[in-house]
Amino acid sequence: MSCGRPHDTNCGEVLADVWMFLDNECDGERRRVLQRHLDECGPCLEEFGLEEHLKALLARKCGGDAAPDRLRHRLRQSIREIVVQQAEVSVHSTEVTVERSGDGTVIEVRSSSTEVRQQR
Amino acid sequence: MRREGRAVPDEFDGDTAGLAVDEGAELEPVETPEERTARFERDALPLLDQLYAAALRMTRNPADAEDLVQEAYLKAYNGFGSFRKGTNLKAWMYRILTNSYINGYRKRQRQPVQQPTEEITDWQLAQAEQHTSSGLRSAEMDALDQLPDSDVKDALGELAEDFRMAVYLADVEGFAYKEIAEIMGTPIGTVMSRLHRGRKQLREMLTGVARERGFLRGEEVAS
Repeated sequence: MSCGRPHDTNCGEVLADVWMFLDNECDGERRRVLQRHLDECGPCLEEFGLEEHLKALLARKCGGDAAPDRLRHRLRQSIREIVVQQAEVSVHSTEVTVERSGDGTVIEVRSSSTEVRQQR
Repeated sequence: MRREGRAVPDEFDGDTAGLAVDEGAELEPVETPEERTARFERDALPLLDQLYAAALRMTRNPADAEDLVQEAYLKAYNGFGSFRKGTNLKAWMYRILTNSYINGYRKRQRQPVQQPTEEITDWQLAQAEQHTSSGLRSAEMDALDQLPDSDVKDALGELAEDFRMAVYLADVEGFAYKEIAEIMGTPIGTVMSRLHRGRKQLREMLTGVARERGFLRGEEVAS
């Protein structure tokens, strides 16, 4: 069905591309052609408005569920467990020597570390 | 509503991410496990609510959605070393979620696969678009607005799985066709077909519900 008025692009063709237009998937030239048609064709513009409305309705009503806190905790916990399994276990030993003499006090710190890489 | 807009790389393989070691390709300094964990928690955990909402739409059940999200996150964490910084993390996470759903969850549930009948080009061939009768569209719009959230979610849940996911990814998450194609592992033409059919069915369903609820009188329904 056409709105009965002459257009460069016929209504069926425009309506077929309504979603691409709304999804921002048309290239610049196609967008201009569709835009021009919508500007001069009331029925197509109305149809476009309804589809746009539906898209916005879905976005508004179907998202936004928050994950339960227990899932967040469970997830962090599981990640920690993996980290521990894969962790590099480091063994550090530090030796501190304190020497006192007439000139004052000398403190010497000797440190060593051993790394054990544990693969799962 | 375009997002980051960065395409997902071709080798993007969410479900097996972490199994394949990308040898030689990584020129970045080696990350310690602590650094990687910190980066994962900083970048990926903020997507939790969104992924949970998507999982809810997929499984239609809160307990299953939690398990699915947990599974996807652990896969993502294990594969995070092969995720390329600078690419689209959100799309990568969605791909893993979708694959986990298709390969794991759905198989375990032994749910029959809801296979919509579709041809790649049918979205174009089936175009016999018409204007609806004049004057009814604004009534339809008003009626849809009055529907409670649960009705809209339920209607989306009624769609065949592939339609439902395509519509969700496009309309709720705002992914581009190319990204949806990568997330769902299908050609762009198939994405367009699923979107087209899914939205059409959804609109019919919602109009029907609005009529049942008395928000739209019978004779006002656009065909």
